[in-house]
Amino acid sequence: MEQTYHQTLDVKGAKCPMPLVKSRKAISELPVGQVLRVVATDRGSVADFQGWVKAAKNVELVAQEVVQEAGQELYVHYLRRTA
Amino acid sequence: MTITELQTQAPAVTASALYDALLHNTAPFILDVRNPDDFARWRIEGRTGLTVLNIPYYDFLEDEESAVARVSANREVLVVCAKEGSSQYVADLLRTHGVDAKYLEGGILSWGHLYDTRDIIVASWGRIVQVARPARGDVSFIVISDGAAAVIDPLRHTTPYLESVAAHGARLTHIFDTHVHADHISGGPALTRETGAPYYVHPYDAIHPIDMLPATIAYTALDDGQTYRVGQVELRMIWYPGHTLGQVNILAIAPDGSRYLFTGDGIFLRSFGRPDLGGKGEAWTPVLYESMTRRLPPHLDDATLILPSHFSTLDEADESGRVAAPWGIVRRTNASLAYLESEEAFRSFVLGNLPEFPPQYVEIKRVNIGLRTPSETEAEELELGKNVCALAQ
Repeated sequence: MEQTYHQTLDVKGAKCPMPLVKSRKAISELPVGQVLRVVATDRGSVADFQGWVKAAKNVELVAQEVVQEAGQELYVHYLRRTA
Repeated sequence: MTITELQTQAPAVTASALYDALLHNTAPFILDVRNPDDFARWRIEGRTGLTVLNIPYYDFLEDEESAVARVSANREVLVVCAKEGSSQYVADLLRTHGVDAKYLEGGILSWGHLYDTRDIIVASWGRIVQVARPARGDVSFIVISDGAAAVIDPLRHTTPYLESVAAHGARLTHIFDTHVHADHISGGPALTRETGAPYYVHPYDAIHPIDMLPATIAYTALDDGQTYRVGQVELRMIWYPGHTLGQVNILAIAPDGSRYLFTGDGIFLRSFGRPDLGGKGEAWTPVLYESMTRRLPPHLDDATLILPSHFSTLDEADESGRVAAPWGIVRRTNASLAYLESEEAFRSFVLGNLPEFPPQYVEIKRVNIGLRTPSETEAEELELGKNVCALAQ
């Protein structure tokens, strides 16, 4: 199913903790209810985003997917600001 | 600030410096900032008393004050993450709060890859070198005498063995596995390919115990009672079935009469190897009892140095990092040996203290006899964390 989102954050090439640090900042600047699409190349981001949303007060992990692009794996996270 | 501008202020600690500190029980308080699932799968372990705390790095992003408050301000802290980045980030943040924080260079990955090479004994006839992979509790050995070298239970990465053999001006002549391992990928077949030295294993272990399929790797069969010469040292094979059907203990006898027993996954310093990793614990328990009470004892005297291929806790290593003790000490201090008193006591102790059976151990045995060839990533995944080859203590 195609995910809807309002903004995209490209963190390709960024290593841990930067995908999450930048997502945290971006989601704080997003209006409540909107969805941020994060595109990462760091495989560790998959488990880290799952753990993060459990600790985070105003973020919901809507979906995660792995996409092949130009021979590399992209880890795509959809995050909604809930409050 | 862009990613490339990120420059850390916190000092780095290498994995080998960490290992030294763990051995001497001087390691700082360890703060592991990986996510809780990764932390639960494996972590840095040291001697009893080491403090390891898990606070994921994103907790510091969500609520910096309360995360920092959970870290003791007046102690040195070593921050650890998967590869390094998040630990630098958290260590720098802690330093702004006045905490003496450092980070582990290369993350827990570099700890997992650390090989530690030390001499067990240096004598006029030659030397015995111990090569350990501390994160896994795996230990292996090189016997060197008169320019010849035999490696026993080599671990997956072959460089430490080739380097040590070359550094002592020797040539690798024999490669032994005491048995086909379940917890780690053997370096034996790779060393054979790289050096041409024969790879010896007992033929009973060249059949996968669960698949019932024969090995496809090249190996030379060894047998009970057989001896091999490495320079001035004699290596005697002692069949010791139970942990696997083809396990041997290897007794090294030096010209000065000193004796060294490479027990593999037989007798450890504080426990002994479990009989269920072939999937037949009930059937193999009496076989193991026979090995421990009848097959092995005629070869043991109190001065024989016991050199096992695993430790379960770093407390089993002395301050110099040697995982070794004479049989006279082991038979008194290894509490699990008390159950050898009767077969019934042994049976109920063994079957009542089997740790979980890691599912990947079936696959690792396939890899070790050539039924499967994993990619580097798969090999890393299969070998994640510490061995569980011993009975629970």
